[in-house]
Amino acid sequence: MIGRLSAAAATMLCAASAHAAEGERIDVTGELIDTWCYFSGVMGGPEAVVGTAHHTCAMWCAAGGIPVGLLGEDGEVYMVLKLDGDDAANGGDSFLTLTNDTVEASGMHYARDGINYLVVSEVRSNLGIPNETHEDFGVIPGNAIPDAVVDDVLAEAE
Amino acid sequence: MRVRLLAAALAAGLAAPAGAEAPPPLPFDIGGPFALIDQHGTPRTEAALVGTPSLLFFGYAQCQAICTVALPRLAETVDLLTEAGVEVRPVLVTVDPVRDTPEALREAAPRVHPRLLALTGSEAALAAARKAYRVESELIGEDIEGPLYSHGSFLYLLDDRGNFLTLLPPILGPERMAKIARKYLDGRAMGQLEPVGTR
Repeated sequence: MIGRLSAAAATMLCAASAHAAEGERIDVTGELIDTWCYFSGVMGGPEAVVGTAHHTCAMWCAAGGIPVGLLGEDGEVYMVLKLDGDDAANGGDSFLTLTNDTVEASGMHYARDGINYLVVSEVRSNLGIPNETHEDFGVIPGNAIPDAVVDDVLAEAE
Repeated sequence: MRVRLLAAALAAGLAAPAGAEAPPPLPFDIGGPFALIDQHGTPRTEAALVGTPSLLFFGYAQCQAICTVALPRLAETVDLLTEAGVEVRPVLVTVDPVRDTPEALREAAPRVHPRLLALTGSEAALAAARKAYRVESELIGEDIEGPLYSHGSFLYLLDDRGNFLTLLPPILGPERMAKIARKYLDGRAMGQLEPVGTR
């Protein structure tokens, strides 16, 4: 499984090597991911750093300036340059509230230097975080949520 | 083990050769005039970016997040390019005008790279520079060390006239960044690639 995922991940950015002369309008459905943890492998395989398991870390990463990517259903990762209405292309925490959400987005795709970039013109729908990876992986990394907070949440749940 | 396998697989993917065709221009302009101050207190404008290609990053010296990845990668990329005979000037524009005074940057800059040009200025002057380069920055809180800023982290490769050539996600390794930079800078040297406009 890991091998297949790794191979799939390795091909994601390769696919952008065939350059288009201009950007092209595309629709992408996928999850807004933390590209650092996804590509670096520092937190484990790519299946562990998406969805609910990695949500807290992904928010920290987005707040810290890590570029957000849109992991499409086709397996491609699109580096998101801006959302509709943003003046900035090189974003800060615009995506903080959207990390790990699965969205249906329209935008312009630019394949540059073997990398996919997406200028999002419209988020047509937001499905929230249906990818409940915490059931398999817990919290990734384990210290992303302080124990005291977990205890409080569990106490409230009881 | 699986992390190493994944890293190797990703490295292979990231190292895939790009096509020969010039990349599509982005639908917005990146770059423009600025009036800042370097770490020696010398006023600097966009003219400071003329004469040598630059690798430009917006961040701040006290940043404990993306800058701790991006700045070392910027420095290593510059060194890899230098080894390959391609001179590139590393440039940091701070997003933290309060703490990144010229004096503070004079102390911090050599820790990043001995040739780092570190720029600061008034809040308004830095905001104007960020607007020109379409970089977002926002104060998101305070911790015991001081203010925390969220900020855009793509690096910009500029030609020897200060024109935007391409952007580099900070998640790329220095080898990949240097390889991309050489595609543009070697090409320019050989007259094979025209500067890539942004519109």
